[in-house]
Amino acid sequence: MVELLAQTCLNALYAASYMSLVAVGLVLIFGVMGVINFAHGELFMLGAYAVVALYADLQLPFLFAVSAGLVFVGVVGLGMERALFRPLRNNPLGGLVASIGFLMILQALAVMGFGVRMEHVPPVTQEVITFSEKVHLAMPRLFVIIAAVILLTALWAFLTKTRFGWALRASAQDPEAAALQGISINQTSRIAMFIGAGLAGVAGALTAPLVSVNPHMGHSVIVTAFIVIIVGGVGSLEGAVVAAVAYSLVHTFVTTFYDGVIADIVGLSLMLLVLIVKPTGLFGTADRA
Amino acid sequence: MLLEMRNASISYGKVSAIRNISMRVPEGAIVTIIGANGAGKSTTLRAFSGLEPLQAGEIHFNGKRIDRLPAHKIVGEGIAHVPEGRRIFPDLTVEENLRTGAFLRRDKTGIETDLEAAFARFPRLRERRRQLAKTMSGGEQQMLVIGRALMAKPKMLLMDEPSMGLAPIIVEEIAGIIEELNAQGMTVVLVEQNAQLALDLANYAYVLETGDMALEGPAGELHDNEHVRAAYLGV
Repeated sequence: MVELLAQTCLNALYAASYMSLVAVGLVLIFGVMGVINFAHGELFMLGAYAVVALYADLQLPFLFAVSAGLVFVGVVGLGMERALFRPLRNNPLGGLVASIGFLMILQALAVMGFGVRMEHVPPVTQEVITFSEKVHLAMPRLFVIIAAVILLTALWAFLTKTRFGWALRASAQDPEAAALQGISINQTSRIAMFIGAGLAGVAGALTAPLVSVNPHMGHSVIVTAFIVIIVGGVGSLEGAVVAAVAYSLVHTFVTTFYDGVIADIVGLSLMLLVLIVKPTGLFGTADRA
Repeated sequence: MLLEMRNASISYGKVSAIRNISMRVPEGAIVTIIGANGAGKSTTLRAFSGLEPLQAGEIHFNGKRIDRLPAHKIVGEGIAHVPEGRRIFPDLTVEENLRTGAFLRRDKTGIETDLEAAFARFPRLRERRRQLAKTMSGGEQQMLVIGRALMAKPKMLLMDEPSMGLAPIIVEEIAGIIEELNAQGMTVVLVEQNAQLALDLANYAYVLETGDMALEGPAGELHDNEHVRAAYLGV
């Protein structure tokens, strides 16, 4: 029993790792730009396909493929900022709708490029860390956990210790006052979009060997991401991480002990509960919600 | 003349905020704009810092035309704006707030020196340097935004109603700070509803009434002006 709990915790930790990357990216974009990026799940999918193309098809090193995936999806994010969100800056609802249109374009491109069937990406290593007879952690999953810790720590350092980090946060809190310090909203939007999209892309790239890669894989990711950021508090980055961990723990445990559908129901009920008891989310502040 | 506004007009849609306003701010002076609520004082200040576009007229600063520049470029020209209602970054610490003021600067040593100077000028900010700005009192927040503006090493400071909502003793402190800054060479444009405070501090004053320039003159003269005394000094 203890072993089952331990194994489930490891599984949950893995899920929490890539979900926090996705959720934090989504919150960053919303916080700085005020726009809800519905295409975020497809940016995740794009990162996965980058690994399919570079690592599985072209046999390039996995780490290189993941890094290239991060940069590539980040650049796609920059394109989205310039072409979709900037022209619609005064119309957040329009930005949301535009992002829905864009996600369909991305899905269609994936289908055209790779077909509808699921891609299988061979894992980098078949090694498994064995803690005991019933408790093990596959190395590829450990990579995801380690990568998430490194990336989130780097993001934290960027946001709290660099001038662009302060600028980003300032811009999210009061764009006009930020402009008075010389911080341009175009600049902070670009940074937020690159990082936010890049995080979704790298999450997709890292998990590509562990999931079935297909053009519609973004759908479940975005739904979970929205639940996570609503529970965590829509303006809060720390909330996104905490909620990602909490949600993944709950979801993984319920899936293990019951089944996946019930896990989904429990997850959504959790979100409803938070919305009723504290509508701004666990860490959220009233203004942004 | 450091700052000059010529025949400026601003409307919000069909509503005219200021009409044909002209002002001059000499280097090293404290110039004030006084007037009732809604007279157009803040609008004028916001025009200087690029937050409001002009429908007509021009603004020149330091020999350069600035009224077409976006707000984030105007700081770079040497104008720092302490906005109405303080406008701290609530979820940044005191120190982070101050550092955002230095965003455009690349001289790391200079920034650290100026940060120290800010804490020396405002000891209460040093005490609270790691606190979130939103947890501070109104007076402390006012000092924070003045400190933040100074971190840009501006040639000119625009101050929009610094006394608003503050206890008289804090207002006195802030008046002292403005005087001190000016004595050290800072040009100040002060918008105030508190006409007494404004006329005590300033060299020259402009009186706005519902978007028009009603009066202007040396502060001392305006202080003795019958209309000003009746309408704004409560005498």
